[in-house]
Amino acid sequence: MSMATGPRAADGERPVFKPDDAVRISVRFPVGHYRVPAYVRGRHGTVEAVIEPRGIDNEEEAFGRNAGSKRHYYRIAIPLAELWSDYAGSPKDGLRIEVYETWLEGR
Amino acid sequence: MPESQDLLKRLPTDLGGLTAEPVQRTEHEIEPWEKRCHALADVLDFHKIINTEEKRRGVEALGAEIISKASYYERWIAAFANILFQKGLLTPGDLARKMEEVSARHGDGRT
Amino acid sequence: MQPHGHEHPDIPEPEDKPPGYYEIMEIAVRELLIEKKLIGPDEIRRQIEVLDSRTPALGARVVARAWIDPAFRVRLLRNGRAACEELGISFYDDTQLIVLENTAAVHNLVVCTLCSCYPRPVLGLPPDWYKLKPYRARAVREPRAVLAEFGTFISDDVEVRVSDSTAMVRYLVLPQRPPGTEGMSEQQLADLVTRDAMIGVTTVRH
Repeated sequence: MSMATGPRAADGERPVFKPDDAVRISVRFPVGHYRVPAYVRGRHGTVEAVIEPRGIDNEEEAFGRNAGSKRHYYRIAIPLAELWSDYAGSPKDGLRIEVYETWLEGR
Repeated sequence: MPESQDLLKRLPTDLGGLTAEPVQRTEHEIEPWEKRCHALADVLDFHKIINTEEKRRGVEALGAEIISKASYYERWIAAFANILFQKGLLTPGDLARKMEEVSARHGDGRT
Repeated sequence: MQPHGHEHPDIPEPEDKPPGYYEIMEIAVRELLIEKKLIGPDEIRRQIEVLDSRTPALGARVVARAWIDPAFRVRLLRNGRAACEELGISFYDDTQLIVLENTAAVHNLVVCTLCSCYPRPVLGLPPDWYKLKPYRARAVREPRAVLAEFGTFISDDVEVRVSDSTAMVRYLVLPQRPPGTEGMSEQQLADLVTRDAMIGVTTVRH
């Protein structure tokens, strides 16, 4: 029997994205509870860091599933000029925000 | 007037980017009941009776008008009551009776 | 129904004015939870003691230590929570901590646009303005204008970096050490560090 591929990780165990990956934050409008503010939905950014350890999906936790499924949060960098077309500060200025893996799309 | 779906598409607590007044750097000394309410939130989370995420959902469920008019801890205690009812841990009747009792104890004859 | 007047925890209630609707609700919810044995009679008081023990002086100690101890600074920036725990600061709310270092090139600012996420274990409870609409709405939209309202003017060649604290991580700003403080002790340095500088709305001055 071959073990050439080594131990396999379970679904959600390993981060899907890595630092410097270009990502888009999903555009979705669920009711209920979630932690993605309107102003970042649909915006493009870059993964600055994978946040460890994994966290429980806050959309499950909000309804009392304290042992809900776990995935990674990512610290996402988005230029403020990408968020606001009339942004008045320096073009270097940026936002950092934690986004849960289920809200990120690769580019 | 926003359409109803626009009200649902943005959480009522989601303020990022909205037009707003200059920051007023006023601070009030936290009142004893507010501090007790904060400690209650922590204890409820420690026991996972109401976790922090449920508390946030409970505040959001109060709706934009109450969120904008009630103070920070007023929103919390109302959210806690609703969530405890949803979980079957208390009933509105329990709370009403206890509130009458507390009022009477503090010399408020109105019930 | 349970009789009242027993096993109420020894928590002061104001005597001078009758409690309002929300305070009555708070007292009632707490007493019902204790009567139903969902929480213990002393837990609220104990947690109030925990909250009272958390003030910006703790964060100031962390900052001063990072200024004088380069190895600590490295550990703090790598894992904020673990480095604070080295100084005896526990994370009772089970949050992680990212420490954001201000430099000559970057000025960090912390906000929570969705609620009031704040590094309570190291700074205590947030100020009112941090929880209210003007700061939460505008810090991500026009941070330089907000900073100016705090008397903080950041040069255009310095990047303003706004961290919106929305989930499991809390943020503490490590301000720049002001010039002219080379001979100061750790405690003297800590005394310079303000809460607002650790949120990032001001800088540390000497």
